[in-house]
Amino acid sequence: MIQTDSSRPERTSIPDPRGSEVIVDVRNVRYVYSLPEGKQVLALRDISFSVDRGEYVAVIGRNGSGKSTLAKLINVLEVPESGTVLVFGKPTDDDDTFWDIRKRCGMVFQNPDNQIVGTSVEEDVAFGPENLGIETDEIRKRVDRALNYVGLSELSKRAPSSLSGGQKQKLAIAGILAMMPEILILDESTAMLDPISRNEFMSLVDRLRVDHGMTVFHITHDMSEAGKTDRIIVLDKGAVVMDDKPERVFMRHSELLELGLDVPIYVRLVMSICSRLGVACDESYLTSQDAAVAAICQILKHRQTESDCQNIHPTDEQKELEPSEEVTAVPSKQGSSGSVLDADAIQAPHENHESDILIEVSHLSHAYEERIGNAISDISFDVRRGEILSVIGHSGSGKTTLISHLNGIVRPQSGSVVVHSTTGNRVYDTKKNADVREIRKTVGLLFQYPEHQLFEETVERDIAFGPRKLGLDSETIPERVRRAMQLVGLDDSILERSPFELSGGQKRRVAFAGVIASDPDVLILDEPAAGLDPVGRRAIFEYIRALKNMGKTIILVSHNMDEAAVYSDRLLVLSEGQLQCIDSPRALFSDMQRIKKIGLDLPEMVRLMLAFKESYSENVNAVIFDLASATDELLRASAVMRCSPVAGPDGGSHA
Amino acid sequence: MLKDISIGRYYDGSSTLHRLDPRVKLILFAVYMTAVFMVSSPAGIVASFFVVSGLVALSRIPLRVIIRSVRPIIFLMIFVFAINVLTMREGKYLVDFWIIRITDIGLERASVMTLRLFLLITSTTLLLSLTTTPLKMADALESLFGPLKKIRIPVHEMAMMMSIALRFIPTLVEETDKIMKAQASRGAEYDTGNVFVRAKGYASVLVPLFVSAFKRAEELAIAMEARCYRGGEGRTKLNPLKMKISDYWWLILLGLIAFVPVFVELFWEIG
Repeated sequence: MIQTDSSRPERTSIPDPRGSEVIVDVRNVRYVYSLPEGKQVLALRDISFSVDRGEYVAVIGRNGSGKSTLAKLINVLEVPESGTVLVFGKPTDDDDTFWDIRKRCGMVFQNPDNQIVGTSVEEDVAFGPENLGIETDEIRKRVDRALNYVGLSELSKRAPSSLSGGQKQKLAIAGILAMMPEILILDESTAMLDPISRNEFMSLVDRLRVDHGMTVFHITHDMSEAGKTDRIIVLDKGAVVMDDKPERVFMRHSELLELGLDVPIYVRLVMSICSRLGVACDESYLTSQDAAVAAICQILKHRQTESDCQNIHPTDEQKELEPSEEVTAVPSKQGSSGSVLDADAIQAPHENHESDILIEVSHLSHAYEERIGNAISDISFDVRRGEILSVIGHSGSGKTTLISHLNGIVRPQSGSVVVHSTTGNRVYDTKKNADVREIRKTVGLLFQYPEHQLFEETVERDIAFGPRKLGLDSETIPERVRRAMQLVGLDDSILERSPFELSGGQKRRVAFAGVIASDPDVLILDEPAAGLDPVGRRAIFEYIRALKNMGKTIILVSHNMDEAAVYSDRLLVLSEGQLQCIDSPRALFSDMQRIKKIGLDLPEMVRLMLAFKESYSENVNAVIFDLASATDELLRASAVMRCSPVAGPDGGSHA
Repeated sequence: MLKDISIGRYYDGSSTLHRLDPRVKLILFAVYMTAVFMVSSPAGIVASFFVVSGLVALSRIPLRVIIRSVRPIIFLMIFVFAINVLTMREGKYLVDFWIIRITDIGLERASVMTLRLFLLITSTTLLLSLTTTPLKMADALESLFGPLKKIRIPVHEMAMMMSIALRFIPTLVEETDKIMKAQASRGAEYDTGNVFVRAKGYASVLVPLFVSAFKRAEELAIAMEARCYRGGEGRTKLNPLKMKISDYWWLILLGLIAFVPVFVELFWEIG
């Protein structure tokens, strides 16, 4: 059978001299909360599970599946309506013990800003120990130790508001570390972080597990984070539907997709290869990305020995030169039901250089405060009609500053931004006040977390706000509102409701509809899917696709390289306010030297394919962004290895 | 523009004034307020000026920082000066043109009033905001007003509220800026159009701001509870307030110096 490397370096299990000890025991727990208007919601129904000391548990589920409630039950922020929760062997609904439980549990929340109490970094770290009534000298020691551990010692006197999002979450960890808890609960703590901060945060959590033997509950929407734990608990509508090792949970990936969840990319690739070759997938293939790569290599090599070379298409060699351009159109049999990386989500990129130009940016620079230096400097590029242009770069690279210039929210300090009208040959300059009004009709902008901009009494009025401001007559507006709502999949029944009553995902759609209703030619979307669960993410990208098909031009700001690569015609890379390059995803990611020089992250799929290039065959083309093409490419590479006289296993026909 | 609000703008340092117990500074603040209000003659004001300059030297804060903190009240100072100089009818006329009549007494009084205001603000920002972190100030208030707990005044809670408010000012300012930009890109207008258009523009900022502030408050309350907060009882402090011998000496010394201008004024008038 196929051998896979079963060691998982990232899953160091902590040896416990006393053997396994149950640290959290949840038995038949039911929890109901009531909404302000008196409605009762069943958040958890009859949940039971237990967790051992030192375990690393991921809790996944859609928004509203009861994940956060579960976390709060462990930390005694809530008590169950019926059933019992035993933490450290003590019941949480006992007034004598709950303080003892709570002080041994630390919790990091989603929004970094809303959990910082102190007016300086060290005062915030001290908040917990102060509440516990610990001696001053001991607090000082703990604060210094905690800040040192998370690497914030130098910032100890700084105001929390001057920290970045990633630093704030580390500060939250330090604040908990200073209380020396045994259980760490992360309630979507990584959701608002950029990829780099996310990785730093997660490796900090790993260190805590190894150094302090902490038991960790990690609530997340990120499946690759979940894949690195010991165990995944899947919640759906308040019930535990799966509770097993990650690889076993991932084996049921079609069920996960039905639940509105996702699996890591490597899992999808293994599943896709297995189903294409009719090989049974073993759970050992899914333990980690390395295991997955090794397993696929084995499967492909195994297949090489069976001879069916006649199946290879004669144009294979050509395909290699022009990688998978047409292959992208073929949907894979497996897993076409969901992820944003699926083949049906992709269109062949428009490489049309003559397409007319909509926005011209030339030599644009902007500094918020002269002392700090330029937020963006000397940036020039064009936006072409009908394209999806993604702006990528790390936090603080100037992405938001750049896009704010495109509809005149921020005016150029030097350089210029001009917008070409759709109909006539008019040109509008963002420097001119009179033009800005016209520009905002043409260029719609949606900032990050746009649900925070909702303010009207009803959904209808909020969506109509933009069109009304554009001076549209009252007869067209309802039609516009209706169309916009239809596009984002909102039901007419919520028209008269207050936007504040809606769920997070619905609010996001209302905000989205608000921009679409103004019917701009260009839509600028700043991280439109940030903080949404997998279903919400998918939906957002569906709208983007629909808008593109309607002939809209879309400028997308994204942290997620995979999504940017799959959806965009071109990528604009910013780094420290400088435009590094603007190119098609394929051209960009083909040039590894340039990528390294810019310090750009690779899409996960490319990284995975590079692993194959290294451990399977030089022949593999790594510049592939979607699942179907990746599957095809690997099968093609294995076919070439098998049948070409040079690269084949028994090859060597030329002396 | 919004970022210039300097409530609780602390200037880090390790001068005598920085290290002084915040309660001492709070008491001194009251003392200096009284003293500055007690002087009304040019001689007294000049003396006060030297005393406050001494405080500045003691704080080792660069002058430009102090000037920056006074900048927001320049308009008020000009206003006070103008009102005083224009309304005073006593004394010898220096300028008498149309409705503008400036007398020597008026000029003197206006200068005294304006300088007094300037000294008041400078000594307040020096003693309170520039050399004392907001949290220490809250601690000092809590400690000084601690006895009021006996008559059921929630002193700890008020101090906690104050420090949280200070902590969240920059966050909310940043958020206001973001929302304003978001609404502007939807076509909201803040400084053009008629009153209704503008009111609507501001509503489009204030409503989301309030909604988010409430959400933040709720989440913060849960986060505080998760970190075992249960009111002031049994709490210890990372930096507890502890009066040192030197604090008492400084209190006496600076307290006495505060009244030097008052004596200068008295002697000046006698002599």
